Amino acid sequence: MKLFYWAVAAAIVLTILAVLFVPGVDDFIEQTFQRYLGRAAR
Amino acid sequence: MQLMLRILIILACLLAIPVAAVATAAVKQRFADGPNRVFSGGPLVAGELYTGPEPDWSFVNEIPTVELQLLDPAQSRRIWIAEAEGKLYVWSGYMSTTVGRIWKQWPVQAERDGRAIIRINGTRYERQLNRIQSGDELDAIAAAITGKYPSQTTRAGIEAGGVWVFEAAPRN
Repeated sequence: MKLFYWAVAAAIVLTILAVLFVPGVDDFIEQTFQRYLGRAAR
Repeated sequence: MQLMLRILIILACLLAIPVAAVATAAVKQRFADGPNRVFSGGPLVAGELYTGPEPDWSFVNEIPTVELQLLDPAQSRRIWIAEAEGKLYVWSGYMSTTVGRIWKQWPVQAERDGRAIIRINGTRYERQLNRIQSGDELDAIAAAITGKYPSQTTRAGIEAGGVWVFEAAPRN
């Protein structure tokens, strides 16, 4: 379980770095979020 | 019981990854000059500030979205826009749903303080947002909205509060 927590922490850090610095990732996240948000708001 | 707790912890941990992604993207957008899609952007900085006579707004009917910034708070978002009978209108749907009311904060803020800047094709226009809740002009506005977008906005929907419509009037 300890290894799992480390893996999740690493995944979160990598995700944040990718959103901040990899071109297009932030737009992909926003686009995906928009899709679910629009559906939920109806 | 122990197993259930463990499953819940695992699910929460896995959920934290997309939540972190969305939160990071939202925070990042706040520091940008303008919005992207749904996340609010920072103040509209780039672009010439328009001065002069009231433009012929019919050109906005060829533009899918514009950037709207309120002065208070100084955040921007991307929204639909339409022209009807020579006037400029912006609006917000989903205002009668719980998710919509959480998501759409700007209409409430605009009703409190309607001073706004709209950036269209790189030009910034200072406007005053005035909410319209009734009147015959709603027929023309609803027709302009449905004629331009795949929207089911009706006068009744606006009057019922499901859609908040604002005229983007000149700011004096």
